[in-house]
Amino acid sequence: MAGPSRLAAITRRISSSPYQSHSHPKIVTWPAQTRPYTQYLSRPLQIYRSTSTDPYLNLSIEHHLLQRSHPDSTILFLYTNRPSVVIGRNQNPWLEVNLHLLRQGLPPSAPLDQQQTPSADTHGGGAHIKIKTIPVSLVRRRSGGGTVFHDAGNTNWSVICPPAVFDRDRHAEMVVRALRRLGVDGVRVNGRHDIVMDVDAAVGRGYGGEEEGKQTFKVSGSAYKLTRTRSLHHGTCLLRSENLGRVSGLLRSPAEGFIKARGVESVRSPIRNVGVGGEEFADAVIGEFRRMYGGEGAGDRVVVCEEEALMMEDVVKGLRELTSPDWIFGQTPQFTFSTHPTEDDPRERPRIEHSLPYGLQAHFTVRHGDIQSAAVSGLEYQDSVDEASQNEILSKALVNQHIHHIKDWRTTLKQASPSPVDVDDAGEWLNHIFGIQTPGVKGDRSLAETTIEMIAQTKVAQYLSQNSD
Amino acid sequence: MASIARCLRAARPAAFSAVASAPRTIGARPFSVTATNAIRRYTKEHEWIDLSADKKTGVLGISEYAAKALGDIVYVELPAEGKEVTAGDAIGAVESVKSAADINAPISCKITQVNLALEEKPGTVNQVPEDDSHGGGWIAKVQVTEQGLKDFDNLMDSTAYEEFTAAEGEH
Repeated sequence: MAGPSRLAAITRRISSSPYQSHSHPKIVTWPAQTRPYTQYLSRPLQIYRSTSTDPYLNLSIEHHLLQRSHPDSTILFLYTNRPSVVIGRNQNPWLEVNLHLLRQGLPPSAPLDQQQTPSADTHGGGAHIKIKTIPVSLVRRRSGGGTVFHDAGNTNWSVICPPAVFDRDRHAEMVVRALRRLGVDGVRVNGRHDIVMDVDAAVGRGYGGEEEGKQTFKVSGSAYKLTRTRSLHHGTCLLRSENLGRVSGLLRSPAEGFIKARGVESVRSPIRNVGVGGEEFADAVIGEFRRMYGGEGAGDRVVVCEEEALMMEDVVKGLRELTSPDWIFGQTPQFTFSTHPTEDDPRERPRIEHSLPYGLQAHFTVRHGDIQSAAVSGLEYQDSVDEASQNEILSKALVNQHIHHIKDWRTTLKQASPSPVDVDDAGEWLNHIFGIQTPGVKGDRSLAETTIEMIAQTKVAQYLSQNSD
Repeated sequence: MASIARCLRAARPAAFSAVASAPRTIGARPFSVTATNAIRRYTKEHEWIDLSADKKTGVLGISEYAAKALGDIVYVELPAEGKEVTAGDAIGAVESVKSAADINAPISCKITQVNLALEEKPGTVNQVPEDDSHGGGWIAKVQVTEQGLKDFDNLMDSTAYEEFTAAEGEH
């Protein structure tokens, strides 16, 4: 079914894509079965625009460009993702993300605009209920930094260059110049290498850092990856996102008060759109990039589409890594979870919901997703037993469990306990804290399973599974 | 490590000039316990490796020059123990100021031990990056392979590295 004819049809559709605008002298089209975008990898100046909205694929194309391009080349890569929460390489998803809200998805507030996201047609063949919400992907990128939100109203820019000419502000400044050229006022690079926008307090809304009647909003966040021979600086740019009001909720975890993590914590900033269109923005950034590195018209503008990217073995390899729960959850630096203040984490804890059994105390140390040590006490055992020894046996049984493979804490606690124990309230609370859906009609599913399921429904995953043996 | 020291010069001129003009004290670091019985070499990518007297084992880390230029290190992603690597392979990474920078194997070797303390106190790499003792900023201990010994011969000694970084600073 997915033979060459389907591919040819897709390629034809792509070749009439709006990205190949008439205003640029060198337009690259992709006839079927020719060499893909990789033929440009040795050119000194390269400009790519992805037509895919898959966040895992776009990051894998970017990684492929980072690893396989000529070490002296300078590359601009632009892409727009469907709704996603993207955490930094060394971050903790349980701490950074509200996994419940993420799974609920976004309400299709603007159905016409959202038609462009593949998620809409991914579910088109399935049950009608699924069209009600737009899924949000959870992604861990390879670069450092904090958590950001992407959607169709956000365009990502990425510059790959030799390390000798790299600095943390150089390309953020490039994007600032592009924005100014588009008539966006008040934008600048701040001390955190992000692009912010100063707005008159009377005009701006929300709670920004107020300075002399100005409020400051973040419009673009930066992150970097440095390899032996190359440097990568990529950033978001909020253009016309319709989900700004939902970002703060998505990036606020119920576990925040209970987890102390090694690695990198995000810095919260008030955000706002700059109010320009995606293609307008892409054209302006390309213009500034050419001005910096080669003058008008330098560097072909190359369109990268999903199907040709997926023909590259390295891209597929990177994609498999990025979509695996072992990367998304298992890469998490060590953290401790404790219901009560400890010597290591003496913060006062948020008020625990009344449904939690009185006296319950739980403490886990989790390394790369594995429970290394556990101490649970205060559960109500149904028989009259020696609680201390029961607690010890139960806690020991939790060690070595992968936290993202736990399907339901009620079952996990019950199975860990040597004697009958009332675990419903404690289990439900732990499910809530660790982002596990309280099991419904579909049965128990762990975070790893939910993630795999979500990814399996995407166009890219379906294309891959249809084209593999 | 990427050529990050050089990369960050433009971004952090103050930090850089401090590095470039600081007197070199590599041979007389007060905290090192093995400097007297081991030979230290450096890569162009700013890793160092000590070779033990019997040439069978080594200790590696990132150079003081790189650590200063990187800025505040907030996380060290340690190599996998037991892993056999070839010179130039990415074996771990350090994160500072939103940048994940690869740590590369200076020579072909097998990772035998990693400095777990860095996970909790990544700032140690900023403070004592070339200290290979307990409490120091070393990254990993390794078993040196035959190929690794050959790789080692191609690396810079401390004098050559000093000249190399000084030259980088003049660009």
